[in-house]
Amino acid sequence: MLWLTWRQHRAQILVTGALLFVLGLLLLVSGLRASSYITEQAPPGCPGPAAACSAVNSAIYDDYYYPVFMVFGLLPILGSALIGAFWGAPLLAAEFERGTNALAWTQSVSTGRWLVTKLCLLGGVVVVAALILSAMIGAWLPVFRDVIGDKSLEPGTFTLIGVVPAAWWLYAFVLGAAAGTLFRRTLAAMAVTVALVALTVPAVFFSRDSYAEPVRAVTTGSTAIYQSGGALVREAWLTPSGQEIAAPPAGECPSPAGVDVRSERAQLLKDECLLDEGYRKAVYYHPTSRFWRFQWTESGILLAAALVLGGLTVTRTLHRRN
Amino acid sequence: MTALRTEGLGRRYRRTWALRDCSVALPSGRVIALVGPNGAGKSTLLHLAAGLLAPTTGTIRAFGRPVRESLERIAFMAQGKPLYSGFRVAEMLAFGRRLNPRWDDAAARGRLAELGIPFDRRIGRLSGGQRTQVALTVALAKRPDLLVMDEPLADLDPLARQDMMRGLMAAVAETGLTVLLSSHMVSELDGTCDWLTVVNKGRVQVSGDIDELVAGHRLLTGPAENADALAARLPVISRGGTGRQATLLVRDTAPLPDPRWTGRPVSLEETVLAYLRAPDLAALPRPALTSLG
Repeated sequence: MLWLTWRQHRAQILVTGALLFVLGLLLLVSGLRASSYITEQAPPGCPGPAAACSAVNSAIYDDYYYPVFMVFGLLPILGSALIGAFWGAPLLAAEFERGTNALAWTQSVSTGRWLVTKLCLLGGVVVVAALILSAMIGAWLPVFRDVIGDKSLEPGTFTLIGVVPAAWWLYAFVLGAAAGTLFRRTLAAMAVTVALVALTVPAVFFSRDSYAEPVRAVTTGSTAIYQSGGALVREAWLTPSGQEIAAPPAGECPSPAGVDVRSERAQLLKDECLLDEGYRKAVYYHPTSRFWRFQWTESGILLAAALVLGGLTVTRTLHRRN
Repeated sequence: MTALRTEGLGRRYRRTWALRDCSVALPSGRVIALVGPNGAGKSTLLHLAAGLLAPTTGTIRAFGRPVRESLERIAFMAQGKPLYSGFRVAEMLAFGRRLNPRWDDAAARGRLAELGIPFDRRIGRLSGGQRTQVALTVALAKRPDLLVMDEPLADLDPLARQDMMRGLMAAVAETGLTVLLSSHMVSELDGTCDWLTVVNKGRVQVSGDIDELVAGHRLLTGPAENADALAARLPVISRGGTGRQATLLVRDTAPLPDPRWTGRPVSLEETVLAYLRAPDLAALPRPALTSLG
């Protein structure tokens, strides 16, 4: 079975390996160039939060971080969609489509063993590939730590580092396999897989805030929390008597004459005035220390989904056969 | 000894029954032809025999054990002889070797070398006849006791058909394996197959030794006016004739009481066609069941 799995899926394995190699090279070159730029060009103490560093910070961000991140920004959806469509969907659909399931399942290996072995072996390779990608990105990001701060909880970055990429790819792979046994046509299974991945990604992104009860902080502003890398959930106002209200009170601190009420300046003036009057902001957020807790929560959800889909794949395949 | 025995076997796809209430015993060491019109349930029976389908009702056993537990002893060649078209011939053999403990690699290589099929050629680039031979080689190298083939002759030209049957017969003579093959070309089966099973409208209609079956039937010709009287006394499979003359195909070989009636032997094809045109005759006692031990 090991040989057969390799022989039938070596194209996917080799192409994925080559793509990872190219991405790794891209990250390596970008990281090396950015660090040499920092040692050679940046003034002492920079890059960093100091005001004097702002020019060099944005130069590094624009020239080294952003172009590469544009490529990786697509990976949460694109990577999972590709894995689902090219690793998962053909696993069973291609056999059904060409009738070779009747050949494969009438050898001395039972269909159940054939299917479970393939799912486990290929699933294992998918997980390893995702972890390699995550490790490469994890090694590249710290180069920019002083420029961009801790971005580990930012939606795009969070999906690319730690163990979450492995869970996403495994989920997409099993989803593709399940679509393959349900639709029995490679192209149809691929399309369904891509569509479902495209639906799952935003659904999971938007549910992330509810993985844990957010921390509540009473401050005069949320800038510090944002700069620490915390993920803001929502903000509210506290009246001087300590009562929480969703919107700032309408009657307090009217805009001075000559300032447009809708402008940003009017907003700032109103905030300042309210803080002077004793109002405070209540900020609900997730601190970066929750990174691993969130990683394991999201991985758990996706692995549970993968397990359910895997069970569905096996039972549907064994139940219906030809 | 019985190679394949089914009891009350039935298979339903959603709401329609492809095969129902099928009880047959197919003897081992035979070349068994499974005949029936399109959609009669042949493929369903063969897929059940190969373990690809699970029965909805009843049981199917090969050599006394459920077929799903006898995969090592059963080889299957599906309709269209599917192979991995991207594999090279040698890789197709590696596939068989790695998935079957009883695999006979030397025999497989010898057979393909003898046929002049290049080992490094991709399956997709072989001719139809060569592909059939590779499929047959993969099936035979498994050293099965039962070889199940779904329409093995359907897409072959006459020459390839002959090569295929010759290869099959050689393997049967050498190993004594049981072959169960489906076909709708009845004329091609005479001389190669020795057991016939007819499936019609999802039910088994006839199952028996071909020689006994043919010898047990006659075509009677006589005057039309007393055909009804004769037909009432004999098991008639089909009736025909024009004008004053009538013909009756009967399952009976006793001497005829009326000298105006004459009988002649029938061919296998005539017998099969007569049964296929009269699917209701399944209600009659089947000739096969009496001759089975």
